[in-house]
Amino acid sequence: MSTLTQAARPSLLRRWGGLLLWLLLLALLAIYPYTGVTGSALFTATQVFVLVTLASNWNLIGGMTGYVDFGHAVFFGLGAYSMGILVTRVPLAFSPELSFWQALPLAGLVAALFALIIGLPTLRLKGPYFSIAMLGTFVAMREIIRILRPITGGGTGLDLPPVLNRVNEYYFMLGLMGLVVALIWWIRRSEFGYTLIAIREDEIGAEMRGINTTMHKIIAFMIAAFFTGIVGAFWAWQNTYIDPDVVFIEQRTVEMVMMSMLGGLGTVWGPPLGAVVIYFLQDVVWGNLLNFHLMALGILLILLVLFLPEGILGSLGDPSSTSLGRLLRRAGRRQE
Amino acid sequence: MRRTVLLLSVLLTLSLLLAACPAPPVPQEAQPAPAQEEAAGEAMAEEGAMKVIRLGAAVSETGKFAREGKDTRQGYQLWVDWVNDEYGGIKLGDERYKVELIMYDDESDPDTTARLVEKLITEDKVDFLLGPYSSGLTKSASAISEKYNKIMIEGNGASESLFERGFKNLFAVLTPAGNYTQSALEALAAKGAKSVVIAYEDTAFPTSVAEGAQKWAKEYGLEILGVETYPKDVADVSAIMTKFKDLNPDVFVGGGHFNDAVLFTRSAKELNFSPKGMVITVGPSNPKFVAEMGPDANYIIGPTQWERTMAYKDEYFGTAEEYAQRYEAKWGEPPTYQAAESTATALVLQIAIEKAGSLDTDAVRDALHSLDIVTFYGPIKFDETGKNVAKPMGAIQIQDGNILVVAPEAAAVAELIYPMPSWDER
Repeated sequence: MSTLTQAARPSLLRRWGGLLLWLLLLALLAIYPYTGVTGSALFTATQVFVLVTLASNWNLIGGMTGYVDFGHAVFFGLGAYSMGILVTRVPLAFSPELSFWQALPLAGLVAALFALIIGLPTLRLKGPYFSIAMLGTFVAMREIIRILRPITGGGTGLDLPPVLNRVNEYYFMLGLMGLVVALIWWIRRSEFGYTLIAIREDEIGAEMRGINTTMHKIIAFMIAAFFTGIVGAFWAWQNTYIDPDVVFIEQRTVEMVMMSMLGGLGTVWGPPLGAVVIYFLQDVVWGNLLNFHLMALGILLILLVLFLPEGILGSLGDPSSTSLGRLLRRAGRRQE
Repeated sequence: MRRTVLLLSVLLTLSLLLAACPAPPVPQEAQPAPAQEEAAGEAMAEEGAMKVIRLGAAVSETGKFAREGKDTRQGYQLWVDWVNDEYGGIKLGDERYKVELIMYDDESDPDTTARLVEKLITEDKVDFLLGPYSSGLTKSASAISEKYNKIMIEGNGASESLFERGFKNLFAVLTPAGNYTQSALEALAAKGAKSVVIAYEDTAFPTSVAEGAQKWAKEYGLEILGVETYPKDVADVSAIMTKFKDLNPDVFVGGGHFNDAVLFTRSAKELNFSPKGMVITVGPSNPKFVAEMGPDANYIIGPTQWERTMAYKDEYFGTAEEYAQRYEAKWGEPPTYQAAESTATALVLQIAIEKAGSLDTDAVRDALHSLDIVTFYGPIKFDETGKNVAKPMGAIQIQDGNILVVAPEAAAVAELIYPMPSWDER
């Protein structure tokens, strides 16, 4: 955006191209179950959609707003437990399938409400303090769930009705992923999105300009929590049982962070890309790393921060943001 | 931006292709009709000289269940090699079927387990499934086998809640968790124990064990003086033990996992808490426990699914001891009970298939329900939920550093020592 004329009249394709391509891809994916694939392939795809959705959600608070949430899986867990408790303990619906739809929005709301409550104090914290506070919240919630035995089943957990339908699950997650990524795309272009980025770049500056930073941060946090809660609820349904140790695992947060960072923090398409790349890395490479799986994740995270701070997409846009890019550029200059 | 979106879409599409790749393009619905499956099986069988029965299992090779997963795999593999090379294949009418077992690593992760079981059924087209290790993973896996109407027979998921979901295709050869302490409490009550305290880890399996312990305590007339739970990965149990010491019970029942057994024993000794009998759920039957605790391990009682000294035998593997020797010769280490129950799992499936004379799910399910047999691992008889109700849980006591079966009487090789001497008398 070097001159005003260019900024004023961006081509239509430039404006809408991203969303159009996304919708096209979704349409293609919608046909996928009819190409004679097995339940296993559908299930694998569904798991990728789950990761893409989680990473995109995390990106809203972690990438765009700049509040690196190391406990985001707490919302996943709350969603999962809301689903589990509503389905098994509150028999309102006539059939298990119906109870899923009944519990789903509530699971999202529980997560969003919790984001409001926990966000009010924690979002005042800056930098690593916020990350640590959220990590603490996450661990504390796992213990609270464990202690609330009469409601949550304690360490034994809850069994959900084993109603599995891979095709329906696929379409559900496809729809949710489509919605979330499109929402992020829209936010990124909206005034709200620019406000979030302003908060990330200079929170005090943003405040000076009359932006209600607290409100914006909380709203972003609540949106991210809402959809993470929905994904958690879906996961609980699809896994047919939950207990504190399968729902509240640190790895889930680490994965969200990793995927966003690898793809490109704060970008729309980075986290989905990162999710896809990491899922297959995990399957192919780390499957062979035996017990070093988590260590490998950690090392990759460090390497990313050191050498690829802008992620794949960020580095493609601006090679000089990476040490490798700078090195190549220097080498290029020398040859000239 | 356009370039990046393009890159993203290409990658997403590629990933889906990758996911679909291992599957040959089969022109059918996602959920294969049974008739088509049988046809596929026959077509496959006509090619080779010997017909094949395909079995599948997702068992942890990595992750937190790597150790027990290894025992499970070795147990399964021992049976596969035996049935193919020695036994000559599973008998179906006049024909012999070779067994092909596909095992994947589930990484001790429920998502991966679910994905692999789905793959085994829809892509590898297995006829039957063998269970993973642990109650949690079995829950994930059995929901899927139930959906596809495939029989899953398992020997490593003992939690009672597995059998309360109304599944008709899940069978387990091992004694369910609720009965873990039955033999021990019965024997202790017979020796004159009057009261009991119970401490357990707050996770699925220990909870089932503790609920069972309360039931059996009442059954055998033991008064329950106290029940305590503690969180997973506990580092200190002295608070619980102090509380229990004041209650002065005859019997202490406790535990969740191996490490807890060590903690309980150490803590009891430090606090000089000397009940007349100490039953610890998991740990005492493991030789590592004796190695770690030395003489302090003596007199500790523990339940066991299986010990090589037990008096069970069958026409396939011989006695429990003969099975153990075979296992040692093959794998170079003595079998744990996880290994034995895995072999027994597969053996029971074989017996049911032979009895049914068919690979049809309904026929084999009926055959499984009608089984009433004794194997090297113990008696097998399934109730309508798929639990093995015939096999009593054994109880061992560590005596002079030896792990000896003391109950039930049919399997006992030593007399239960009760009361155990207090810590300062040793």
